[in-house]
Amino acid sequence: MKQKGGILQAQDLPLNLNNRRAPMWLGWVGLIVIEATLFTALITSFFVLRMTSPEWPIGGIQRPELLLPTIGTALLLASSIPAYWADHRGRNGDLRSLRIGLITGLIIIVAFLGLKFYEYSHAGYSWSTNAYGSVVFFIMGFHLSHVIALVLKTIVVLVAAARGYFSKQRSVGIQTNGMYWHFVVVVWLPLYFTLYLSHYIFGIKGG
Amino acid sequence: MINDSNYEKRLREVWKIPQGLASITAVNHRVIGVRYIVTAFIFFILAGVLALMMVLQLSGDNNNLMSHETYNQFFTMHGTTMMFLFAVPVVEGIAIYLVPLMLGSRDLVFPRLNSFGYFVFLTGGIVVWGSLFLGSAPDAGWFNYVPLAGPEYSPGINIDIYTTAISFMEIAALVAAVELIITIFRVRAPGMSLSRMPLFVWAVLVMSFMIIFAFPPLVLTSIFLAADRMIGTHFFNVAMGGNPLLWQHLFWWFGHPEVYIIAVPAFGMVSTIIPTFSRRPIVGYLIVAISMVMIGVISFGLWVHHMFSSEASILGMSLFAAASMAIALPSGAQVFAWIGTIWDSKRVEWRTPMLWVTGSIVLFTIGGLTGPMLAAIPWNWQVHDTHFVTAHFHYVLVGGAVFPIIGGLYYWFPKVTGRMMSERLGKWSFWLAFTGFNIAFFTLHYTGLMGMPRRVHTYLADQGFDLPMQIMLVGALIFAAGLAITLWNVIASLRHGPPAGDNPWNAPTLEWSTTSPPPAYNFLYIPMVHSANPLWDDKKRGEEGPLGYQTGTDYRETLGTTALDGIPEQRLAVARPSIWPLVLALSVATVFMGSLIDLIFVPIGAVLSFIALVGWNWPGKQRRRGL
Repeated sequence: MKQKGGILQAQDLPLNLNNRRAPMWLGWVGLIVIEATLFTALITSFFVLRMTSPEWPIGGIQRPELLLPTIGTALLLASSIPAYWADHRGRNGDLRSLRIGLITGLIIIVAFLGLKFYEYSHAGYSWSTNAYGSVVFFIMGFHLSHVIALVLKTIVVLVAAARGYFSKQRSVGIQTNGMYWHFVVVVWLPLYFTLYLSHYIFGIKGG
Repeated sequence: MINDSNYEKRLREVWKIPQGLASITAVNHRVIGVRYIVTAFIFFILAGVLALMMVLQLSGDNNNLMSHETYNQFFTMHGTTMMFLFAVPVVEGIAIYLVPLMLGSRDLVFPRLNSFGYFVFLTGGIVVWGSLFLGSAPDAGWFNYVPLAGPEYSPGINIDIYTTAISFMEIAALVAAVELIITIFRVRAPGMSLSRMPLFVWAVLVMSFMIIFAFPPLVLTSIFLAADRMIGTHFFNVAMGGNPLLWQHLFWWFGHPEVYIIAVPAFGMVSTIIPTFSRRPIVGYLIVAISMVMIGVISFGLWVHHMFSSEASILGMSLFAAASMAIALPSGAQVFAWIGTIWDSKRVEWRTPMLWVTGSIVLFTIGGLTGPMLAAIPWNWQVHDTHFVTAHFHYVLVGGAVFPIIGGLYYWFPKVTGRMMSERLGKWSFWLAFTGFNIAFFTLHYTGLMGMPRRVHTYLADQGFDLPMQIMLVGALIFAAGLAITLWNVIASLRHGPPAGDNPWNAPTLEWSTTSPPPAYNFLYIPMVHSANPLWDDKKRGEEGPLGYQTGTDYRETLGTTALDGIPEQRLAVARPSIWPLVLALSVATVFMGSLIDLIFVPIGAVLSFIALVGWNWPGKQRRRGL
């Protein structure tokens, strides 16, 4: 550290560290914690309603089948692999791998979106059917909005990468995109448990 | 070494605050902080006027100054404004202004996010108050219980305003919380380890974490209710399997921590002001800091005590009752630390800020005594929904938050404006407000015990409430007169106050080491810190001022340090002024406020928000700074 006239010079320190010490990286952690809290409150709402309702699902709605949702869950989990690969190659400046990884991940995610769209447009009930429909559609809707946000955000990262914005020295945007991707995937697991498995583990109530 | 005057000039240039019309693009933390504080105080005055009109309405039996519909809107707006438009924004504004100064930083780490938060708060506030002037303000109480607030019993637009505006405005609180936490963990002055951090900053840190875990459930439940009302969901509709208690749980999951979200930063101000005027470091720094953290944690285990008259499980209620009493321990520890600091002082200076915070300790302690009374379940059932509860939480909130905030106003006004406020007016203001408050609100304990329910716009002649409510009116007028003197003091001192100098109170923390008001870049050199009370201890060691770091002047640059020990590790370039925060705020407002008109605005606003977010983050030619 240069010291002249009692004053230290900061200029030898690196400008904007390119890792987890970047404020931007912590900012995304903050967003993820907020959203995780939101999903916790959603899951709580699901089980509070289940606890106080005499029957569950309500009004003759069948409990969901497991096959399609489980395939969807597997797809979503699988999408994290190319995203992880893209992130780790991309942050070392390998923009081609970044592009391939993210696009592969996006294709899998779009398949997941398609499955969910199919599943819920054939559900036979909607948010206005009863409280069960309301909370199920809200949980799905909240998660899907996150998935769609992830898709849009990833496209922006891809465009920025194509325009040469990212490099080995400047990759916090790539890293946070990867982190958010894994969050959207991981937060689905408790939701999958809530929406599907819970009916089989705790059984059907009343009705 | 760069020539000093040249260095100063270049700093000034790069940190320049846009003036005139361009000032809407300003992102400097002190500009945004002052905007928050001034706006919040305007809402405080408006809500105070509502309170006076309610007391006037209650000052005689069968009074018909206003209809019960108007009264409903008034008490709802009073509570909603004080909670969401005054208490939270004002402490956030003070934090946004002070935290970088106390940390020796040039700005927050996310200045644009900060500006975005302010515009969200402002837009939401204008919509809510606009609805009152149009006669369709929310009218189901500030906690807005269903089924009263549901589509069946409140068909008008009133509650829609509540649900959309509340969930919208909480975005502002959440972004402020995130940026404050990261600022505290990233840009403390070199040498400022966590154990040397000013207690006010500790308080802001705890508050911010509480906001992050408390506000999402509120946003969610507001959206549930909005959906019940607008698109026909059934979350709270018993006939379709819903459950009104779900609202209460989610609301108080937020609502009880909310009390401490307001109170903890106010405690932080008390812990800052008392040592300054006691001329000694606070007694038990560590205990005070840990107490604040404990309050933050325990406050999440209390919410059911707002629901003792609606929940059934006695075991569950007992646990919550125990937690409600447990929180008295850390609160008490803080009070003893304050008393100890004053006690051990060789020479207490009873200046105006010191009076306000000492008054706060007295009022908060009285409110604290009725707290465990209300935490006892049988007592709670007896006085539930009476004036006794109103008295309790006004003692806690006015004593615990408003008095310290006004003390803080007197304390930091010289730093913000460069001018002193009048001591004489300040003391008049304090004694009038203190006396008037006690006359007004102590009376409410009595009317509450005698059975007067809150939120009822009148009573009958033979119920015997006329005299106490007239006493209350007198007290309320004295209280208001006291606060009006402070308002006058602020206005007069802005023009005619004597110059303050850098450190008029001889205070120990870093914000007093720079000029009053500080320059746009806050500190010429980023100061270095060797103790928890740098300005006192440096003087003791005979140093002129802290040794400092010179930063670059190509961008807005501040010094990034490690989270625990405050060791310099990077230079951080923070954002320049920008119009995008305003654009994004208006786009998000389109989602929430547009839904009041037509649901088509929700997708429109979402698309606009996406465009604004991309525009905000798009790497322009100016932004070679690597974020």
